[in-house]
Amino acid sequence: MSPLPLHLLWLLLAPLALGLLAWASPPRHSGLVLLVVLPLPLMALWLLLGIEAGPMAGRLTLGPLTLHWRLDGLAALLGLLTQLLLLASALYAVGYARATILGRRAYAWLWPLLGGLGLGLGLIWIAADLLLLYVGLELMGLCAVGMMLLPGSAEALSAGLRYLLFALVGSLTWLLGIALLLGAWGRLDLAGLGAVAQPDPVTQIAVALLASGLLLKAAIVPLHSWLAPVHGSAWTPVSAIHGALVVKASFFILLLLWRLLLPEAIAGAWALGVLGSLAVLWGGVQACRAAGLKQLVAWSTIGQLGYLMLAFPLLAGTSAGVAAMAWQATWVQLAGHALAKAAMFMAAGNLLLSTGAQRLEGLTGTSRRLPLSLMTFGLAAVTIMGLPPSAGFTAKWLWLQASLAAGQWPWVLVLALGTLLSAAYVFRVLRCSFVEDVPEPVFRELPLAMELIALALALAAIGLGLAAAWPLAALAPAGLP
Amino acid sequence: MAPIEAWGLAGLLLLTAGFCLLQRHLWRACLGLVAFALLMALAWLLLGAPWLALAEALLGALLTGGTLLWTLRGRGALPRLAPVDETPQRARSTAPLRWLLILSWLGLAGIALIWLLGVDALTPPASATTLLAATGVLIMGLGLWAFTIQRHLLRRLLAFNLLGSGVFLLLAGLAGPVAEVRGLILVGLVVALLGSILGAVLLLRLHAQAGQITLSGASPAGSGSGP
Amino acid sequence: MTALHLAPQLLAPLLVAALLWPLLLAVRVLLRALIAPERPRAHLDWLWISAPAPALLLALLSAEGSLWLEAWLFGGHWALDEQRRLLLTFTALLWGLSGWYARGYLAGEQTRALAGDQESRSRLLRFALFWPLTLCGNLLLLVAEDIASFYLGFALMTFAAFPLVIHTGTRAARTGGLAYLVMAVLGEGVLLAGLLWAAGSGSALTLSELRTTLATADAGVWMGLLLWLGFGVKAGVIGLHLWLALAHPVAPTPASAVLSGVMIKAGLVGWLSTLPLGMTGVDGSFRELGLAMFWAGLLGAFAAALWGVAQPKPKAVLAYSSVSQMGMITALVALGLLQPDSWPAVGALVVLFAAHHGLTKGALFLGVGISERAPPWPTWLLWSLLTLPALSLSGALGSGLITKWGAKTALDTAGEKTVAFWLSLAAAGTTALMVRALWRQWLERSQANAANGPSLAPMPMAWLLSVLAALGLPFWAGWLTGERAGGDAWPPLSALPALLWPLGLGLLLSCILGWSLRRVAPWLSQRLPAGDLWWPLAAAGRWLGRLIHGLLRRLAAWQAAWVAWWVAREHDGATGLDALTSAEGWLRRQLPVLLLAVAVGLAAVLLLSAKSTPLWPWPVGWPPW
Repeated sequence: MSPLPLHLLWLLLAPLALGLLAWASPPRHSGLVLLVVLPLPLMALWLLLGIEAGPMAGRLTLGPLTLHWRLDGLAALLGLLTQLLLLASALYAVGYARATILGRRAYAWLWPLLGGLGLGLGLIWIAADLLLLYVGLELMGLCAVGMMLLPGSAEALSAGLRYLLFALVGSLTWLLGIALLLGAWGRLDLAGLGAVAQPDPVTQIAVALLASGLLLKAAIVPLHSWLAPVHGSAWTPVSAIHGALVVKASFFILLLLWRLLLPEAIAGAWALGVLGSLAVLWGGVQACRAAGLKQLVAWSTIGQLGYLMLAFPLLAGTSAGVAAMAWQATWVQLAGHALAKAAMFMAAGNLLLSTGAQRLEGLTGTSRRLPLSLMTFGLAAVTIMGLPPSAGFTAKWLWLQASLAAGQWPWVLVLALGTLLSAAYVFRVLRCSFVEDVPEPVFRELPLAMELIALALALAAIGLGLAAAWPLAALAPAGLP
Repeated sequence: MAPIEAWGLAGLLLLTAGFCLLQRHLWRACLGLVAFALLMALAWLLLGAPWLALAEALLGALLTGGTLLWTLRGRGALPRLAPVDETPQRARSTAPLRWLLILSWLGLAGIALIWLLGVDALTPPASATTLLAATGVLIMGLGLWAFTIQRHLLRRLLAFNLLGSGVFLLLAGLAGPVAEVRGLILVGLVVALLGSILGAVLLLRLHAQAGQITLSGASPAGSGSGP
Repeated sequence: MTALHLAPQLLAPLLVAALLWPLLLAVRVLLRALIAPERPRAHLDWLWISAPAPALLLALLSAEGSLWLEAWLFGGHWALDEQRRLLLTFTALLWGLSGWYARGYLAGEQTRALAGDQESRSRLLRFALFWPLTLCGNLLLLVAEDIASFYLGFALMTFAAFPLVIHTGTRAARTGGLAYLVMAVLGEGVLLAGLLWAAGSGSALTLSELRTTLATADAGVWMGLLLWLGFGVKAGVIGLHLWLALAHPVAPTPASAVLSGVMIKAGLVGWLSTLPLGMTGVDGSFRELGLAMFWAGLLGAFAAALWGVAQPKPKAVLAYSSVSQMGMITALVALGLLQPDSWPAVGALVVLFAAHHGLTKGALFLGVGISERAPPWPTWLLWSLLTLPALSLSGALGSGLITKWGAKTALDTAGEKTVAFWLSLAAAGTTALMVRALWRQWLERSQANAANGPSLAPMPMAWLLSVLAALGLPFWAGWLTGERAGGDAWPPLSALPALLWPLGLGLLLSCILGWSLRRVAPWLSQRLPAGDLWWPLAAAGRWLGRLIHGLLRRLAAWQAAWVAWWVAREHDGATGLDALTSAEGWLRRQLPVLLLAVAVGLAAVLLLSAKSTPLWPWPVGWPPW
């Protein structure tokens, strides 16, 4: 047990510090951003490589309070993912600011919020303590709401207000659950809680309450309806990081606590799995009928988040082999979807920015004029649809095997339907972009960096499927109890 | 037997909360929130957490209440909100469902409470902590009811604040004012403050831009259904 | 008596020249038409007529031998032997005479073309172009020993003859052309299947190898059946003869002459070169094939005669006579499978029979043209000359008598007296057909002469020569081959009654039937049209076509309805989805309620599913107040 090592502390606080710095003087050149931010993912990578020696853990004493943290392979992996996506988002934001007219103050505010988001996510990944988790969750949530509000339009304000209100209420629900847990077991550190907590009615009620709060924050059907409007009006880099990581942080916490407190609650896990299946179907159907490209991508996020919920039934009370497969599938899907969804949002943003359109019908002629952006969209869609060799395919394959091995065949159906629906909405976009018989809109030139970042992320998502063995190796020993 | 002041405080808390949530006149409702926050500070004092009482008075009463009052005053170039909430109530068709759910929620909280505090909790509460925890559950119920039924965003913010206070009371009543509880409540207060400020500012700007004070008007932006 | 055998080294150049010369002439016609399309040309000049001259020269002068061409197709092997020389001679002769005849026959057309009539010009150009091409194919198949060349020649001849059939462009010509083309394609398909199968299974490249393969292969009889049917289309085997009576009469008379005289023999040549005739040790199943061939041949011989006598058109009668004659030849060929021992004699006879029939039928067809455009000769002379080839075909004169005698002798030697009797009976049918043809020519002479005008100089000359060549076949054929047709080829006087009774019977039958049926004859002619089976088949085909068309139309309607149904369902689906997605607004408005519901529901699931811990931890009825 050691206090927080300095390099970890630096990795946590550097995004916020850099964000505050950028608030003072908003960056205008992506090269500078790259130079300054690049050490962060490198440090995260170094941490991940160093984790093979064994997970780190420690406590931090602040007066009478003791906070617990631990860093295992999963946390390091998610940390690396966070830093990478923060870097991509920051780089993209610089180009975005040059390509569009953004309010100067709004643009300046983006940076500290992005930094705060980074800190909040980092805290969530390493927290081994409900208080630390609470702090991280709230920090992340408030920063995310703030970023969503930056465009300042009436739509953004309305959608952001809804997001704010429900995020706050969700936090209270989760706090209520924590209050019950604290009252019942008298401690907040996860290790201790895991040791003493019994699955009695109080724990069950507490978990139900905090789960509903987290489901709301993770936009799982039927508590998803704040997500699509928020993305419809948000800035592209903000959408990218939000769709990629913010919603998944809540899922991460939920999975962590569920496995800690109610590992054997099969019926509850199935209920969560059913909610996830509904999310897959509802998100897919809505994406198939979405009018705008960003809405389509947002609905696709809702559908894809539903897949993650399949982890609960497949991890609850199943054999070790099934649980291992489901565990690996969950994190591969999370990472692959984070990369691909960020790429997809960026590619969609590029298309919309170039054509000046909002609706899908405005994409006519892009197949010829913006082949790179469209190709990026397609590559990202490969992962979203789960075609080989992407990470999405690896994850779905593992889930499929796990479902069959566990005899939980309904999930097979959900996986198949979800894949069909995702193919349907992706091809809807491609069909619109291959239409040639209407007058072409005026196309705007975009900085090449914006296209390249999106392409790099999409390729990374596919590469993750090809090289899934490495992250899985980092997960396996530490992740499963 | 709980001390009489605890009973009195619980009664006052419930009264203020009810006033704050039922009052359609926004200025009065916000004043009600300030009063409620001050009563909460008293409750913290009663529970033996003076620092928390100070934080409640500062963050809850002064800053949150002040922000909301400032919002109503409409300083700056932004237009003022109407002083009275004129928005219609929610449809009655879902009212039974709402009631059922809120009561179930309270029932859940109650069951948990009884499990934790023992059956003695069903008899007139003996200690201040138990009494305040029960009060917290009731305030939470009020807050939930208001949050689900009301449309005016400022009133929803009020409801959210009361809901939060109810949770804090329950927390403190269950676990006692230990360091973890104080930490959680402190974070919660800061979050509530930040949320209220953010919400209030946004409400003002939304009102200025689109003239709306509810959420329902914003659905077309994201309804997302194509032809 | 030996033929003039020039140096063997002359064989190769002559062989190549024989095949190339018609091609060059065709190219010349084409070039002249292409280079100066507007300048009127007389395509049918003396050079054009000379197309078969090198081939004739080759057949008359050259030695027997063979020519190997490594670079040609799969390795060309062209040969000339005794049988091929005879075939080549009469083929080239008839082609030459018909070409000469055509110069007169088409003189009117040529005049119109020169005068600037576009239709006549294109018709004439087509005729001038395809005539040498057909000839080239015919010659190639005669000299070819390798399968590829043989099939190439056969196909070239078959398809190049199509424009000759439809030359006049009338409705009847188009029908005839259609029948010709349908049956030709059918025949080529069957033939190609048989050739490829046999050649493939035996790795045979030459026709002799093919015969050996057929004799030894397991499925040899099936290959043989395919080959028999494939060549049978050309040779007019009964059932496959449909095109013959339709196409032969409608073609211009010189083309009819070569079609009915020599091209029909290509089928026979095919049988002779591919079927294992006269080979010992062949599979027993070939005997059944032989029986089928034999009965088909006899049936053809009689049925064609019966149907033919009802035809009003002389050329149609002659065409049926061809079917009848080819039926007899088929029956004789079948003996090669049934009685392999007697084949050397029968085989030689078959070739002679073919040559006799080819030349005589050519002379008869050319004579139809002469009767329609009578030269200014005395009527008795003209009609006597016209009767000569008819008598010959009936077996009373010249080559006919010799052939018949040869057949009788050979069959008697082989012990097939019954066959000889039946063939003689068929000859009675031939006689009746000849009488019918001459009678119709006589009846139509004045009408036709009025329409066509007098014949031009080349026509009677060519015809006369063809009559002479046909009648004198035994003499020059013997000279050519240097063997048979000596003095012993002529029948002794004592044998004449046995040879001539079919003639008498035929004449008698003709007189009796002609007189007794004179009233119903026109009616009968109408009921029994030329082409016999073609018409019901065509009607059935049309009915089937209509049926299929109707079915297709109904299918298309079904498909359209199906597509429309699906489009409607898609529309419904989209509407339903939209209705579904509009539920999203409700979800959004009820978000707080849903949050409560999820929390309560999840808690309920968790609490109810955990049976081990009761919700109420104390005994019922406690606390006691």
